[in-house]
Amino acid sequence: MSTPVLETQGITMRFGGLVAVNNFSLQLGATDLVGIIGPNGAGKTTIFNMITGIYTPTEGRVFLDGKDITELRPAHITQSGICRTFQNIRLFKDLSVLDNIRLAGHFRVDYGVMSSIFRTKQYHVEEARLVQEADKLLDIFGLKSKKDHLAKNLPYGEQRRLEIARALATKPKVLLLDEPAAGMNPKETADLTKLIRWVRDEFQIAILLIEHDMSLVMNVCEHIHCVDYGQLIASGGPKDIQSNPKVIEAYLGADAVAETK
Amino acid sequence: MDYLIYLTIQSGIFIILAVSLNLINGICGQFSLGHAGFWAVGAYVGAAYSVFAPLPVPDFVNLFIGCGLGFTAAAIAGLAIGVPCLRLRGDYLAIATLGFGEIIRIIIMNMDAVGGPRGFTGIPAWSNFFWVYLWVIITIVFVVNLLRGTHGRAIISIREDEIAAESMGIYTFKYKVMAFAVGAGFAGVAGVLFAHTTQFIHPNSFNFMWSVIILLMIILGGLGSVTGAVVGAVILSILPELLRFFGETVSEWRMVIYSMLLICLMLMRPSGIFGKHELDIKKLLGMKKGDA
Repeated sequence: MSTPVLETQGITMRFGGLVAVNNFSLQLGATDLVGIIGPNGAGKTTIFNMITGIYTPTEGRVFLDGKDITELRPAHITQSGICRTFQNIRLFKDLSVLDNIRLAGHFRVDYGVMSSIFRTKQYHVEEARLVQEADKLLDIFGLKSKKDHLAKNLPYGEQRRLEIARALATKPKVLLLDEPAAGMNPKETADLTKLIRWVRDEFQIAILLIEHDMSLVMNVCEHIHCVDYGQLIASGGPKDIQSNPKVIEAYLGADAVAETK
Repeated sequence: MDYLIYLTIQSGIFIILAVSLNLINGICGQFSLGHAGFWAVGAYVGAAYSVFAPLPVPDFVNLFIGCGLGFTAAAIAGLAIGVPCLRLRGDYLAIATLGFGEIIRIIIMNMDAVGGPRGFTGIPAWSNFFWVYLWVIITIVFVVNLLRGTHGRAIISIREDEIAAESMGIYTFKYKVMAFAVGAGFAGVAGVLFAHTTQFIHPNSFNFMWSVIILLMIILGGLGSVTGAVVGAVILSILPELLRFFGETVSEWRMVIYSMLLICLMLMRPSGIFGKHELDIKKLLGMKKGDA
């Protein structure tokens, strides 16, 4: 395997006496599609929060392209190439769809505050570029006709899509999706499955996702890590995970495992 | 007639204060209650300049230099207060800024060079209708143009969702401090103009109540709307005066009526007159279709 684009080395998160995540290691290749599953409260979102800098791990390091990003601030980590979506959608609700996407391009904009006050040529050039890039992305995600709508007025499924589009607008190397199928019906989940695979192929990025919906995870992920009580309990391809007794135990309890035997 | 001109000038000063506080409270979403403090910094710095060390240039140039100094001093005060305070959120930030606003007032109260509790007298009357409204226009153009650029959008995104903004690669702290300092700076300019209109300033002219009244203006107009801030400032600075003219009974009860009107308005339109929207001439004429 070539050098992983994202690597975590034994990251641990303690909140007082509670160990939310213990010694979690993971390697993600440049175009890998990997899932993290586990029961509620297993520490999946905490892993995301450590990778994206919202929490600083108590122990362990996070590397992006071999560079240590453990101590960086969230904004800086995004600028280095990791972007995420949130379990409970976090769009800029009172801004338009276009503005949501344009904000993701903010840190690459090359004009100062004074340029925007005095409307210099650079301001117009850069703003035109932002709009053009946003248009392209909105076109891909089928949201172009709604670009002037406020984000809060979009239907739920489109808000999810917009959030993914917004994350992609930061031009990440690694995309983290936190329960992208939460609250979706089977049809929408099926569309999302296609979309996620398509995004990976089209943008050539690595995707790491947390999900409860097994149909999505088993269909889309090439490799799956299962965590329970902050511990990695199993990892492997979808087939291995489905038949792994530890995983079944974590989800259904020890009795269920006994019954299958 | 003089009275009317004075009222108009006063509204202009309040427009600058409301628009600048709106940048902090309404647009960036950082609840500040210390605006009168920055207003005071501007007023005293501007007044001290024109009383103690005016340059031998025409008055209006001196006024302009005074405004520049007032802006700088208030913006520096904004930075000094913003950097520690903006790590706090919501109510905590409001209380911290309130405290700092009062600290500024008490410091001035104890500075003998600028009159201390006796007030600062002998300030030249350089300000007039024209200069005040020139600064009103400068303030509004500055804020509106800022909002239409990427930096302004970054400031708005902090109000919308700070965590999301940070994870979109926006240095939220930097933009919070920036909004705070710029807002404070323009409040400083309002202070300079105020000092050169009334010719006499007293630390108590900048007490906590004024922070609340400026806050009322932007809540009335609609938090986050520049148009709303302007309208709110005009209404709240004219209304108490206007009520004087409706006979003796109304005049006696004017502060009660004023409060009742505010309560009614907040009941009927809790998001303020304009909400988060701007007055858009194209939309009014039906030339543009929007979502909103």
